[in-house]
Amino acid sequence: MSETLLNEIRATKPEAPSALRERVRALSVQEHAREPFLDRLRFTWGWRRLALAVPATVVVAFAAAGVIGLSRDGARDQVSAVGGGDTAVTSSTFEQAQAEDSAAPKAASPALPSRATGIVPPATGQLQRYEAELRLQVDDVEALSTATKRAQQIARSHDGSIASLQYDAPSEGVGTAQITLRVPTARVQSAMAQLSQLGTIVGQRYGIDDLQAQADSLQSQIEATQRQIAQLVSRLQSTTLSDAERAVLQSRLSNARTKLTGLREELRGTNAEARTATIYLTMTTEEIQAVPVGGGRLDGVKDVLAWEAIALLYALVVVGPFLIVGVIVWLMLRLRRRHVETRLLEQN
Amino acid sequence: MTLPRRQPASVAEQAASFAATAEEHLDDVYAYLVYLTRDRSLAEDLAADTFEKALKHWRRFDASRGSARTWLCQIARTTALDWFRAEERRRRREERAAVPERFEDGGLSPGLSPGLSPELEAALRELSAGEREVIALRVLLELDGDEAGRVLGISPTAVSTRLSRALKKLEEKVSIHV
Repeated sequence: MSETLLNEIRATKPEAPSALRERVRALSVQEHAREPFLDRLRFTWGWRRLALAVPATVVVAFAAAGVIGLSRDGARDQVSAVGGGDTAVTSSTFEQAQAEDSAAPKAASPALPSRATGIVPPATGQLQRYEAELRLQVDDVEALSTATKRAQQIARSHDGSIASLQYDAPSEGVGTAQITLRVPTARVQSAMAQLSQLGTIVGQRYGIDDLQAQADSLQSQIEATQRQIAQLVSRLQSTTLSDAERAVLQSRLSNARTKLTGLREELRGTNAEARTATIYLTMTTEEIQAVPVGGGRLDGVKDVLAWEAIALLYALVVVGPFLIVGVIVWLMLRLRRRHVETRLLEQN
Repeated sequence: MTLPRRQPASVAEQAASFAATAEEHLDDVYAYLVYLTRDRSLAEDLAADTFEKALKHWRRFDASRGSARTWLCQIARTTALDWFRAEERRRRREERAAVPERFEDGGLSPGLSPGLSPELEAALRELSAGEREVIALRVLLELDGDEAGRVLGISPTAVSTRLSRALKKLEEKVSIHV
């Protein structure tokens, strides 16, 4: 292209006619006078402002999660401090706890505070009914589970048994385990000593009833009944008895024998009762806080963030297809507009 | 880091600033529209429409994203294309009504510019609007590749290619008319 032609084009640049110039000068004054109120207030969003808005939104989301999450933790702390609220029904049963820990019996954890029991040993050589109640506190649900299993092992190791067991480990509140153990009275002191090491002793009570007098009385009655039976048998051997007298003696003999059987049963029961002591063991946890899975103070923040992410994901899933369709339509319209423009510029 | 942004001005300052900008770039916008439409009367009307739209959207103008001249040329181009579209629709309606009234050179105001030689004038008229506009932007208004690309909505490279083809074609047509 020759420079001459280019210079000619530049040199002959069309100039706006004065009428147009006056029109444009008048425009600004007229437009200023009738500028709509809303136009003056209009806030336009540029891409740069949008680019700032995105990180700002993320910061706000994190801040909100922090405030909500931490304040929720604080509220939970307050609730547990006053000890209010109903305890929820346990979600973990004793059987589950047992299944969780099938480890071999082990000694009481040294972390569990204990002190020697001031238990009075049963008197040897004398029949007594021995009952003891022991109340312990353990640290948490896990310790409660372990202590419950350990109590069963202690009963078995002392040739005893578990008469009843109730275990409750709620998600909030106080966990409890109530166990009734029966162990030989001769070994009750050892059993109590071991049981008391399962937690901190918060209370204990024991009671001894003398069964010796009862046993002695039964023994006297047995011996008296035996003598009565011997006399009846002796009289029945006499040949001078009439039939009526013989029938009466037979009846008395039968009653005496029945009575003897009952007395012997009762004496055996008394002896058995004296041989076995009953221990009522109650273990409780400290106030259980409803700690979410995973624990930790920042979990509240993570929870809120997770919910925010879920909400965002949900919004994306719902709005996403519309956005994609919108973008496709916008691109197609833009392409079509370009095509039309090109055609118009070619034709004119 | 602070983003460059146009300081908000009062309405009076805004209007005064717009008046100065319009005064400064009126000739450029008009020349561009003359080349685009080949019609000085039409270019005059479209230039007036352009500045009316520009004033309406003056608050949205961001100097950091391009010069006022580029922004005004973009509005002028949109205004002209809207007019082309409307004119095309009008022609189609007339063709359907069997009353042809074609948009021909005879209906245009004579001469792109009074000083142009007849050969160059004829050659320019034979170019398409697309070719004339790239010559107007790059030669007449002396916009650089980036600015012209922003007005046309294409890359600077595409502007160079389009300009090169347009000038070559113009030269060929001038040689024919000589």
